Amino acid sequence: MGVIKLFVQQKCHKCPQAKEVGNILKDEGFKVEEYDIKTADGMAEAAFYSIQSTPVIILEDSDENIIAEFRDEIPTPQKVKDLLSGAQD
Amino acid sequence: MGTIVELNAQKENAKKDVKKETTDLTLFVRTSKEDLSGWDRQKIVDALLKETDLDINTSEKISLEVQETIENANIKYLTAPLVRELVDAKLIEHGLEDARKMHTRLGVPLYDVDQLILHPNKENANVPHGPEATNLTLAENIKKEYALLKVFSPEVGDAHMNGDIHLHDMGFIDRPYCSGQSLEYLKKFGLHLPNSLSNAKPAKHPEVLLAHMVKFAAALQSHFAGAIGWDAVNLFFAPYLVDKTDKEVKQIAQMMIYEFSQQAVARGGQAIFTDINLYWEVPKHFVDVPAIGPGGEFTGKTYGEYEKDAQRFVWALFDVYKEGDGTGRPFFFPKPLVHITEKFFKTEGHEKFLNHICDIASEKGTTYFVFDRGETAKISECCRLSFKLNESDLQDAKEPWRMRFCALMNATINLPRLGYRSRKDETTLFNNLREMIELAVKAHLQKKVFIEQLLALGDRGPLALLTMKKDGTSYIRMHRASYLIGMVGLNELVKIQTGDELHESNKALKFGLKVIAHMRLLTEEFSAKHGMHFVLEQTPAESTAYRFAKLDLRDYTDDAVKYVRGSIQEGQTYYTNSTALTVSSDDNPIERVKKEGLFHPLIEAGSITHIWLGESKPSKESLANFVTKVFRETESDQIAFSPEFTNCVSCGKTARGLSDNCSYCGSEDIEGITRITGYFTKISSWNKGKLGELKARNRNKGFFASK
Repeated sequence: MGVIKLFVQQKCHKCPQAKEVGNILKDEGFKVEEYDIKTADGMAEAAFYSIQSTPVIILEDSDENIIAEFRDEIPTPQKVKDLLSGAQD
Repeated sequence: MGTIVELNAQKENAKKDVKKETTDLTLFVRTSKEDLSGWDRQKIVDALLKETDLDINTSEKISLEVQETIENANIKYLTAPLVRELVDAKLIEHGLEDARKMHTRLGVPLYDVDQLILHPNKENANVPHGPEATNLTLAENIKKEYALLKVFSPEVGDAHMNGDIHLHDMGFIDRPYCSGQSLEYLKKFGLHLPNSLSNAKPAKHPEVLLAHMVKFAAALQSHFAGAIGWDAVNLFFAPYLVDKTDKEVKQIAQMMIYEFSQQAVARGGQAIFTDINLYWEVPKHFVDVPAIGPGGEFTGKTYGEYEKDAQRFVWALFDVYKEGDGTGRPFFFPKPLVHITEKFFKTEGHEKFLNHICDIASEKGTTYFVFDRGETAKISECCRLSFKLNESDLQDAKEPWRMRFCALMNATINLPRLGYRSRKDETTLFNNLREMIELAVKAHLQKKVFIEQLLALGDRGPLALLTMKKDGTSYIRMHRASYLIGMVGLNELVKIQTGDELHESNKALKFGLKVIAHMRLLTEEFSAKHGMHFVLEQTPAESTAYRFAKLDLRDYTDDAVKYVRGSIQEGQTYYTNSTALTVSSDDNPIERVKKEGLFHPLIEAGSITHIWLGESKPSKESLANFVTKVFRETESDQIAFSPEFTNCVSCGKTARGLSDNCSYCGSEDIEGITRITGYFTKISSWNKGKLGELKARNRNKGFFASK
């Protein structure tokens, strides 16, 4: 099973919406990792993916290959599920 | 005959007359092995009263005891240093440690002076060997001791001495670290130097402007420890070049490069470490700025209207760089830093210009490519340092002579040692990292206090040049000063913690990023706390990477032997510079730039990736494609390509690659040349650590399409 990486920060007006998508997927049993890019762990993880603004959602398969990245848009939970299940096929 | 320093300044005079000339306070008396003529015990008493907090009775007692020792010892040659040492020994005997410290004599052992005069300084490859260089090194040694005793607290001094941290350029303790400025200051105000016998009005001709620039750079070199950077040089010269032919423009370009590359005649025989920032386009923040032309007058045009002349000049500069010096060697200085921006790619002629500068990068390695993505604008200098322009700087850009920046000092953290101490425990590691950054911050605070004391002396003080107020504010703008915190050996720390080097796994790379993210957040925390601008910089670590490795081999032997790089047998040991991948990593150049570039956005004050070329000579087109790809697909801050050369001392010719003999005449009297860290220099001047690194460099053979 893949992982959903959600990059957010406090002063970010679109982040609550992205977090909501993360919460829905988490409730459905998906593995969601949330990173605040103003913390050391979050900043390091964001640097690894060259992320400088938020929110960003990255989907990875179980081998850490990137399936999809959402840097300028927030996907629907369904779109994320489709992409993750597509990667499993 | 011996010579002793006589301590005969009158006690009362010395106490009252603090403005007394140094020469009045340091008097000499001669003595011989036959007698002690001139010996005056009172001089010891006077010195103790003047220099320490001791009272008259204690001073008298110490002087009597010292006299007794001298009388009993049958000393043949009594010298002032010896008298002082005997006094200090007595002070220790009496438990007067504070007084001993205040009474300490700074100086250099005879043996060391002998070595310095006879052998080159290997700490800085930009210091040649000669009488001026010896003076510089001796002065540096004494000022280092002074800094450790008078400027820094024992805690900070000890951390430097034992290699927990490295305080750079401690021998230049009475100067800030480096500076970046604008030619507009000279164009508007002319050349006014403190203590100068004459003052010059603003230049009317480009040759005179160049002369002002060179002289001012030399003056700045005497007031800063390190690099002197200049912003947008081709653009600010442009109003002087409007009526010049291409041939005349090239002549001025040639004069500029030779003037700066042959300045190894001033401070310590050192070339002025000069950086010239260059643009193909007119940077956005200068487009609408009124241009200053001959005589310091506004020309009635904006800089946006000088694009063509600025382009003619920067093209000509690279024509000269391509030719190299009189023997075909690359010019070491001034370093040309070309800014690659979004606007660059939208500016007419950029493809041809990129090919041109890539041609020089391939032929000579001279070009530095500085990447300013998005809205970023900066002035770059030194080996990789940059000053990012904030909102208030962009306001200043409307009056560009105000754009003056400096870094006060660089303090570097020995990262592998933190790994040895933390025993793979991450919490301990990050606690220790915090402690080290706190120490670096303390060091900065202490140097800042000292420099501010010197600046407060104004135009009668040692930093008078930096306090001149031609535009109403001091030349040095302390409120815009940066306080640099660097790092050495991230690669080795990551290996200690994770078992892998940075290039070997994503796990290692991510841990490395976490360390630097911690450092970044700590600098932000301390910046907010102290109201100062603490920023991370990739330390060039020309000698620090060697020094830390040597000290760790001595003090953390069991661990260090597993992690230091290079040859322990040959003493050529080192740590990997800053956040770089090991120089021997087999990542191809684009992979290296990508991986190293991940760190660059976290390091605000500058980063670079070096691509070692060895003897290969890529086509300009392949390098131009590479540079474009780096701009578009990585986060890299700056790159440079580094070929290697062999220059023959016998026949004067220069060949590609490093070899033992001249390929033209067969002579073995040759000089290898390549980039040591952020600049080119002769390999014979390198320290042992860098020689070890040179052997390990991956020269990327076959990656680029050749000419």
